[in-house]
Amino acid sequence: MSAIAPETTDVQAVTEQVWSSFLGDEEPLIPVFDAPPAFAAGECWSSAVSISGGWTGTVTVEVSALLATQLTRLMLGFDPTEPVADEDIADAVGELVNMVGGNIKSLMPGPSTLTLPIVAAGRAAFSSDSREVARLDARWTSEPVRVSVHVPAP
Amino acid sequence: MKILVTDDSRVMRQIVVRTLRQAGFAGHEIIEAENGRQCVELVNTEQPGLVLSDWNMPEMNGIDALQALRAVGNQVPFGFVTSEGSDDMRARATAAGALFLIAKPFTAETFQEHLSGLL
Repeated sequence: MSAIAPETTDVQAVTEQVWSSFLGDEEPLIPVFDAPPAFAAGECWSSAVSISGGWTGTVTVEVSALLATQLTRLMLGFDPTEPVADEDIADAVGELVNMVGGNIKSLMPGPSTLTLPIVAAGRAAFSSDSREVARLDARWTSEPVRVSVHVPAP
Repeated sequence: MKILVTDDSRVMRQIVVRTLRQAGFAGHEIIEAENGRQCVELVNTEQPGLVLSDWNMPEMNGIDALQALRAVGNQVPFGFVTSEGSDDMRARATAAGALFLIAKPFTAETFQEHLSGLL
């Protein structure tokens, strides 16, 4: 079990920094504390990276399919109506979790290693022997975003 | 100057190239590699004046690529652009011969800070 874990405020700070750097400040990422955003079934993308070594955990990003398409267009510099391939969405969503996970790794005791991102169309699935230690629920352009951190259960 | 941008993410390669332009470094010839192995091959065949490389990549990672280049005496200016900016990673990068490590997320100002003496 990892005794030390990132706080939700750490996850929020890192995620907001990634968001504003690559998606601009025109549409802020708005944290949601009261009612977690609902993801329509089958209408979202998820990505995860694992950290192991001085600290062990998994960082997961889930976004709605519409948000995934919007952020991919922005990151690639596409026009707002330009079609986006699934391959590019997977690349963009994977890069988001890579940046969030890499920065969380830097906050935790090291040395440790970061895996390459795993990306899937759909909600994330978590092992029954893992435990959530931090979660940021937010909205961006009214669409849901969830960033969560899991560690091995004791 | 010919600049080799190495990252397994096409999205990130595009962002790096765009940020180079935004930082005032337009007009350079950009070539791209998807992993460390391609990076080493392109350094040998294309002889870029600068390499900007991710760290974590499939097939061969960035630090192994840098070490492979230095092992045969290649001294191409090499900097990392990576999501990991811990002290440990920075120390490993410097020990292997990297000029700098830019942590993602970055801004055009960060690129100016690290590249203004090189480009």
